[in-house]
Formats: sequence, C-alpha cells, structure tokens
Amino acid sequence: MATTQATLTIGSDITDYGFSLSKTMTMTKHTTATRVGDGLEFTSGLVRRTFTSTDHIDLITSGAQNYGTPTASDSNAANKIYIKNTGTSSTDFFEIGLGTSSGSDTATTDAIGGTHLALGKLYGGDWLLIPGHLKATVGDITIKPSTAEKMSVEYMVFFE
Amino acid sequence: MATTTASLSLTSVDLFDDNLSITTSNTLNKAGLTEGLDQTTGLNKTYLTATTNVDIITVPGATKDGKQNFVYICNSSEIASEYIVVSIGDKVIGRLYAGDFMWTPWNQQAAHISDLEIAPSVATGMWVEYMIINEGVVLASSADS
Repeated sequence: MATTQATLTIGSDITDYGFSLSKTMTMTKHTTATRVGDGLEFTSGLVRRTFTSTDHIDLITSGAQNYGTPTASDSNAANKIYIKNTGTSSTDFFEIGLGTSSGSDTATTDAIGGTHLALGKLYGGDWLLIPGHLKATVGDITIKPSTAEKMSVEYMVFFE
Repeated sequence: MATTTASLSLTSVDLFDDNLSITTSNTLNKAGLTEGLDQTTGLNKTYLTATTNVDIITVPGATKDGKQNFVYICNSSEIASEYIVVSIGDKVIGRLYAGDFMWTPWNQQAAHISDLEIAPSVATGMWVEYMIINEGVVLASSADS
C-alpha cells in the first residue's frame, strides 16, 4: 500500500475580500461495505509527450489491460489523472476530451452520441487533476493540440 | 485585473522506491490572453439528499464556447464508501469518493451537452463543495411558471 497525497492551493484577489483554498486528499482505492480502500499503488509514471500536428488522438487509452486489472478498471475505480501543458503560450492550447478520437477530427463538433466530448482547454502552464473512469465502455482521455507547432504535455495516471 | 493562482503538489514517499514530488502552479487567465479570470461563483456548499443526477452548472441555450473556466469539485463526505459520479453531458469523468477533489478546465461547448453533473451514491445526505472561476457564463432566463 502506498500513500500518495495531492494538495490543491488556490489564492485569488478576484473578490474584494480575496480568498484562499487549500485541500489535501490521499489517493485511495475505492471503498465498499466489504472492502477498505488502501492507497493507490499503481501508476503510469510521469509521461511526457510532444506533438507536432493538430491531430486529435487518444492520450490515455482506457480498457481492462491498460490501467489495472479487469476488476480494477470497472466503474467503481477511484483512479486519478494528472495532465499538464508544459508550454508557456497564452494562445496555444491542448483540448482535453472524453470518448474516442478519430484522427484529424475536431473535438469541437461533439454532441451526445458522438465519439467524444470536449472537457476543457489547457493553455500554457495549465493543469488538471480529475478522477479517471478508465472503463472501456466509457472511453479514453483524448487530446487535440491547437497548433502544429511543437507542444508538450505531461501526464500521470494513478490507478487501482 | 484579478490574479488567481492554482497550485498542485503530488507527493509520495512509498509509491516508488524513490520519493515522488511534483509541484506545479499556474495563473488562471482568460482564453488566449494574459488577463486574469475575473468572475467566480464563489465556493458553493450543498447537501444532496437524493441519488438523482443534477447539474451543478447549466449551459443554457447560449454558450460561452471558447471562454476559459476552471472548476473545483470536492466530495466532503466523511464516509469512505460514499461517492459522487461526475459527468459532462453523457460522458462520465469519474467518481469522487469521500475527501476526493478534482480541478479541471471546462469548455461551455454546447447547450446542456456541456453541463457539469453530479450524482451522489446515497440518498442519506452528502455534502459537496464546488466552485467555478471563469470569464463568462450565460445565466438561464428566469421563469415564474
């Protein structure tokens, strides 16, 4: 069992009073009435990928044998996904989506029932930390660079 | 102009043979600009007493597609087995178990399809916190009937 912690800290003067938020979570496996969730102990490691086209691709492919055993990749899993745009551009971004990519298809024309749905955009320096369903029938984490200029992303999957 | 900074620290002393320590920080800017995000919902705290899938924010008929938004959602339950399923449209992002949080950019791509939704696992009451820091939302039109 491993103990991995994620701490989010937000500070802002967006309101007249300002605000700050700090939250720490320990990444654990899912817990049920008959099962205690120990710490997540598997990881993809920190992966870095560089892109030189605007093709829309699967960044993190779901499925039983990719991240975890068939049992662990079922819908109960408490996986976590970290992705960061390592660039510094304020205009170039990665669009992160859910579903399945289809080559050069654009992620901005999705609809329910389509192959993928845009979650959000990571501009230079932006990052996300989300739970990862990683079930084959739900879909992959997709990525689409906004430019064919060289751009890099780092990601890490923590899974059951 | 507002300045909002979001930082993340990922640490573990026993996930690998060597220590894991990743720290990152970014300033939240409007899409394509170096100007800070200047609107927020504030930190919302809600108590959900049904397992119904609900929108924590709705994208109405008009959208702010292409604008930048960041979303924080936290399952504040203290019962380890309780979770919320977080979805966008018909795509499940994943489950947040007790104490788990998420932080993500959010694109208001299409009306209702891009709604952020949560569904509690129990109807016995769960606390959930969420906040959106954004550069624009379209509020749903009021209706009295």
